[in-house]
Amino acid sequence: MADIAFNLVLFFLILAKTQDDSNRLDWVPAKAAGGQAIKNPLISVTVDRDNRVYLNGQQIGLRDLTEKVAALLGDKPPTERSVVLKIHHETLAATFEPIMEAVSQAGGEVVHVIEDERPS
Amino acid sequence: MAAGPVGGGSGGAQTAWVLNLLTDLAFNLLIFFVVCASTAEDEKGRPQQMPSASKEKAAEQKNTNIEVAIGRTDVKVNGEDVPPAQVRAKLATLLAGKTRPEDKIVVVKSAKDAPYSHWIKVTGAIEQAGGAITLQLEEEQEVVR
Repeated sequence: MADIAFNLVLFFLILAKTQDDSNRLDWVPAKAAGGQAIKNPLISVTVDRDNRVYLNGQQIGLRDLTEKVAALLGDKPPTERSVVLKIHHETLAATFEPIMEAVSQAGGEVVHVIEDERPS
Repeated sequence: MAAGPVGGGSGGAQTAWVLNLLTDLAFNLLIFFVVCASTAEDEKGRPQQMPSASKEKAAEQKNTNIEVAIGRTDVKVNGEDVPPAQVRAKLATLLAGKTRPEDKIVVVKSAKDAPYSHWIKVTGAIEQAGGAITLQLEEEQEVVR
């Protein structure tokens, strides 16, 4: 019984991990200092190297972003309103600034996903 | 899976069964922790407080607050070219003595071709210097075709 229980736990752990589609998108984080560990982000907005925008792994148009993020955030308390931005490091301001504005207008707290830059 | 004789007669067989059971358990525990470790592969993030990204408010604040213009590779603080590595020190000097939160607002204006990697470093320097970022966005231009 214990064996089966263990295997079931593993099965669901792996399943939960693969359900986050944003892990499979093609983007490279920017390097910067001051990164903190992000725990269980509920909403992610990704911009890949071809400037395509994804909300929780599903491609989305910029015009719909505010509405969709607001719907996902609902009436969540301030501590649960984090929206992680996974922006490819070469993305230009013309693309990423409207995204930040959209998240901000939807009432989300912007969290930039970065790669910690080690001092040389 | 462990499948040894249960309640076997000889002591040797029982020892083998217990050993089998323990090996199974150890193996399962090993897999469990490996999966947990790969799941807990933490992403690093930087929260950014943005009071608002409104065009009007930012335009009003432009006259009273520090303005940082982020270009493709360069940075201007209140119109003066500052090497990116010195932005933090420059802003710390400018923000010194300012106690009210509204005085610490730094209006950030980015060129359309400023890359994210450059932008994130500059805005990080602003926050490290004690500034609060407000984005000044370019007016949207309606294009009628």
